Amino acid sequence: MVSTIQNTDVKQKDADHAVVVAITSHAAFESGADDGDEVYREGVAFPLLQALQKVNERLLEENPAESLLFDVILITTDSQQQQQSSRVISSTRHYGLEVSRFCFSSEEDFIESLQKNNVKLFLTTDTNEVTQASQTGVVSVLLDQQTAVCPSEQLRVMFCGDAVIRPDTGPMPLTRQAAQSFSTQLGEMRQKFGMFDSPLSFILVTSHGGRESCRGALQMLRSRGVSVDEAYCLAGAPRGPMLSLVQPHFLLRDGYSSLEE
Amino acid sequence: MVKMSLDPVQVMSGQVKELKVATSSNGDSRGSWEEKEEFDQDHLGLTTKPKPPKPENAVTIAVSSRVLFRTEREQKVFEQQGVEEYLRYQIEHENEPFAPGPAFPFVKALETVNARLRELYPQSEELFDIVLVTYNHAHVGIRLINTINHHNLFIERFCMTGGSSPIGYLKAWHTNLYLSADSEKVREALAEGIAAATMFMPEKLTEVSESQLRVAFDGDAVLFSDESERIFKAHGLDKFFEHEKDNEDTLLDHGPLKGFLEALGKLQKKFYAKGQRLDCPIRTYLVTARSAASSGIRALKTLRAWGLEIDEALFLAGAPKGPMLEKIRPHIYFDDQMFHVEGAAEMGTIAAHVPYGIAQKHNPKQKTSVAK
Repeated sequence: MVSTIQNTDVKQKDADHAVVVAITSHAAFESGADDGDEVYREGVAFPLLQALQKVNERLLEENPAESLLFDVILITTDSQQQQQSSRVISSTRHYGLEVSRFCFSSEEDFIESLQKNNVKLFLTTDTNEVTQASQTGVVSVLLDQQTAVCPSEQLRVMFCGDAVIRPDTGPMPLTRQAAQSFSTQLGEMRQKFGMFDSPLSFILVTSHGGRESCRGALQMLRSRGVSVDEAYCLAGAPRGPMLSLVQPHFLLRDGYSSLEE
Repeated sequence: MVKMSLDPVQVMSGQVKELKVATSSNGDSRGSWEEKEEFDQDHLGLTTKPKPPKPENAVTIAVSSRVLFRTEREQKVFEQQGVEEYLRYQIEHENEPFAPGPAFPFVKALETVNARLRELYPQSEELFDIVLVTYNHAHVGIRLINTINHHNLFIERFCMTGGSSPIGYLKAWHTNLYLSADSEKVREALAEGIAAATMFMPEKLTEVSESQLRVAFDGDAVLFSDESERIFKAHGLDKFFEHEKDNEDTLLDHGPLKGFLEALGKLQKKFYAKGQRLDCPIRTYLVTARSAASSGIRALKTLRAWGLEIDEALFLAGAPKGPMLEKIRPHIYFDDQMFHVEGAAEMGTIAAHVPYGIAQKHNPKQKTSVAK
């Protein structure tokens, strides 16, 4: 059974216009074996959470009545965490995280939570959860240790513009529509800021393709209202060194290449 | 496909015909394929074009957009009207290709060498790999790619850093040479141990060879360290000669472009190995103010000890470099002194400034605004 609790410390967002981002409690907090304390330690999603908050702050600075904001919710995806509800809530409050509500679900019903809450982006550290959520058409991203070390205050979103998409890690067709509308919303947010000093930045990386793939991806993104800030075309060069320089908070893979068909 | 709008331009451009006669820019000796419309090549993605080499195997040349192409008008928009207007202008003119800049003939010559290397060593990745590295925003990306297509350049890799420093990327690409219009970026690269030089657009461009890459180097503070120049500047010519004579058998320390000369030498040897020494499409020159009979000896001994061959060594004994360079017609000439760079440019030679060593502090003519 899913229980949803509002965080009274945080102003609730306009459900019609906000972009709902769900983060699992496992991603937000580290639960160590020797935890006796009330408060969890910071998890891998912390830098990302802070960057999302910063975007909201800056959006409201530009326009105090802004409704296109990130609406972050915390979701538990297993019964063990589900039972730790008070700890999840008190940890959130302790760090002053801008989380508007909590969804305490288990393995069986977290998908239901995602759908009920109109989640546009689901962030988790668990690959199975990514697969399950993707299959129902929710844009899902796997967070890992690399995300945790991202030092940038600016939210850096990376788009993968490749023609070659391996079937086992590729996007489910259902998510493509969702990914497109999510990126259009991100694009709208980006437009509210100038070239420099934006709290949000888009990076395109074409790993396998050459300049034609890159151009196709740039044009396709532009047609969706996404103006890319940085672009790296690797044409087969090793990705690792590039990614450690680019330092994105997360990667969106869904069908940004015009050559994908 | 959206790219159709560029194709008529490509087909009509005189450039395309020229290249089919000399060499195919992407290194393919395609024979009857050359009759086929060039614009079809990309429908199959990279399968019809040769695959770019792995960065660690290739000689990677990173060029900025401002030296590969001419972007003066756009620079002016940026300086006078700010970045938003600059980007808007670029997008508005997206289908207008830029004209070739000072590094363009050099890049074309690199592609010629690649074509010859591919003929002799079809499986080898020891080739030139040209990467466009710019701190432009990706908004300019489409125009840059359209321009690369228009000029039929084989550039498949780029970094558009959107304002942040490209230096990290230069290192990640194992860059062997970085050419930019911005002397600050060039200094940063030199400080990180990457061979780099600032390029300028000459008033007039003399024609350069389409079949042979010619690279000319100054000696002190370019191939060699600036130690001897320091002596000269501090104590004068006589002391310089004395010092050089006394140290004739001591090797000079290496300078920032030594590695690049070495990389060129490795590729040259690949041609020699196939009996093509006389017809080698790479030729290197040393153009130095040292004199053959005296101070030049130390330079030659050093090169020999390093195992580096240089095809022609020109010891000018202090005479002006301009006329000699005008005869050589290098695709690029590296010098640490702006005085020489400007002198060369006046005579139509494409010269690049290596802002390294003692000459940077003493040169009164130095100004970064020359960079375009």
